[in-house]
Amino acid sequence: MIAWQDILISLVKIIIIFGSLIQVGALMTLAERKFSAWMQYRIGPNRVGPWGLLQPLADGVKFIFKESLMPEGANRMLFRWAPLLAALPAFLTIAAIPFSNDIVIGGHNFGRLAIAELDIGVLYILSIAGLSVYGVILGGWASNSKFSLMGGLRASAQMISYELTLILTILAVVALSGTLNLGEISDAQRTIGNWHIWSQPLGFMLFVVAMFAETNRHPFDFAECEAELVAGFHTEYSGMKFALFFLGEYSAMTVISCLATVLFLGGPSVPFWPAAPWFVGLGAFLAKTSIFLFLFIWVRWTLPRFRFDQLMSIGWKVMLPLALANLALTGVFVSMGWDLWAAIGRLF
Amino acid sequence: MVIVKRKELTLAEKLYIPEVLRGLSITFRKMFEPAVTRQYPEEPLVKTDVTRGQPRLVVNEDNAIACVSCGLCEAACPAYAITIDGGETDRAIEREPKRFDIDMLRCILCGFCEEACPKDAIFMSDELELADYSREALIYDIDKLKRPKRALQDRIDYVNRINDRWQTPSST
Repeated sequence: MIAWQDILISLVKIIIIFGSLIQVGALMTLAERKFSAWMQYRIGPNRVGPWGLLQPLADGVKFIFKESLMPEGANRMLFRWAPLLAALPAFLTIAAIPFSNDIVIGGHNFGRLAIAELDIGVLYILSIAGLSVYGVILGGWASNSKFSLMGGLRASAQMISYELTLILTILAVVALSGTLNLGEISDAQRTIGNWHIWSQPLGFMLFVVAMFAETNRHPFDFAECEAELVAGFHTEYSGMKFALFFLGEYSAMTVISCLATVLFLGGPSVPFWPAAPWFVGLGAFLAKTSIFLFLFIWVRWTLPRFRFDQLMSIGWKVMLPLALANLALTGVFVSMGWDLWAAIGRLF
Repeated sequence: MVIVKRKELTLAEKLYIPEVLRGLSITFRKMFEPAVTRQYPEEPLVKTDVTRGQPRLVVNEDNAIACVSCGLCEAACPAYAITIDGGETDRAIEREPKRFDIDMLRCILCGFCEEACPKDAIFMSDELELADYSREALIYDIDKLKRPKRALQDRIDYVNRINDRWQTPSST
């Protein structure tokens, strides 16, 4: 039997987490413009509110009042549904992310700050995130435009090649912790020495690269490709539908940053303070996540886009073999009960 | 036939990562350098004598317009932006414009009128801002174009200095 208190607690958590996700998505559009401006000796948005902080709101209002165009010959139903399909997976995957350790207020334990503490959290996130490419492909196909179709096609090819790497690197972490529960994975990294980034340096690097491809961000933004495909899959989109694509992209970035934090940087663990209270842990989690979010923006305004054949050859000839080798090596270490750092110590 | 020789990449370059880090470090450093943005409406544009803004008519010290409505600027204007109706006056020069309109929507700020003028009566000012709510309001009449000579003095001096270069002893 479920007590009404439990339902209330869950509702509050859902409102907090989901609300924050949308907020972060909106603020990321501002951060993107601000950081890009600073990197190019500019100032960036500064007209709406202090430091342009109300800019996302102004953009949102503008998007709502824009005319929503639909190209002739477009598949009307899929054209309408595609933005939703692109944004929904990001909103769904946030549910499995544990943002903090157990919240204790006045002796009351409210559990982790997570919408659902799933025993198959990793599996759930991977399976739902795999759906996100449908929005891009369907949006590209339903637009009845050659640029959109090319963007969608490229996105699908890229997603297939990089999702493999992503899954294999996550699998290595799962093999190390012996659980698919994201909460337990972060529990296993309470101290800074136990963070999986130290035992999985190669895996971490592969994960970061695959993370960029998975979210269609520079230097792998082949779904958009402003230079050659106009705007790729969302060429024909306007108004709120276009905004939904963007919200989906930024939400996906946020979720995968959270996932990277949980898998490799110990989630809510505070360096050198294992017994930190939950709110400090939550702060540490958010700080680590924002490092990844900044990395997304930072890389976007630094690197040029790869060529499509380069992308494919890196994905299949470099990333995949490395990820497989990493997983195999991790498997050997785990099954033999070795510790990587102890093994390195024995070498000298 | 052109044969493009690709640069042989070293191992470090083939690995991408060191080069990527190098690029990232550059953009990170640039973030802390001062912006070069000019906040236009608040920070005015830097104007020099060479700035060729909208044409304006010179009003001499005796409060009389220098234009004698000869129509040379009207003829020189490549955009047909100038319309002049001449009239008589009691002053020594005997003629002055009754109507002098410049359609600022047609004006291309080329400065031909300035060059054509034999009486140093029209000059390109440093005024650049051009915005209004209707097309009619942007057809400037003589009252909107009049400027005291001292307001245009920098440009007048500059134009005279440039013209002096082509001044031959035979010309006056």
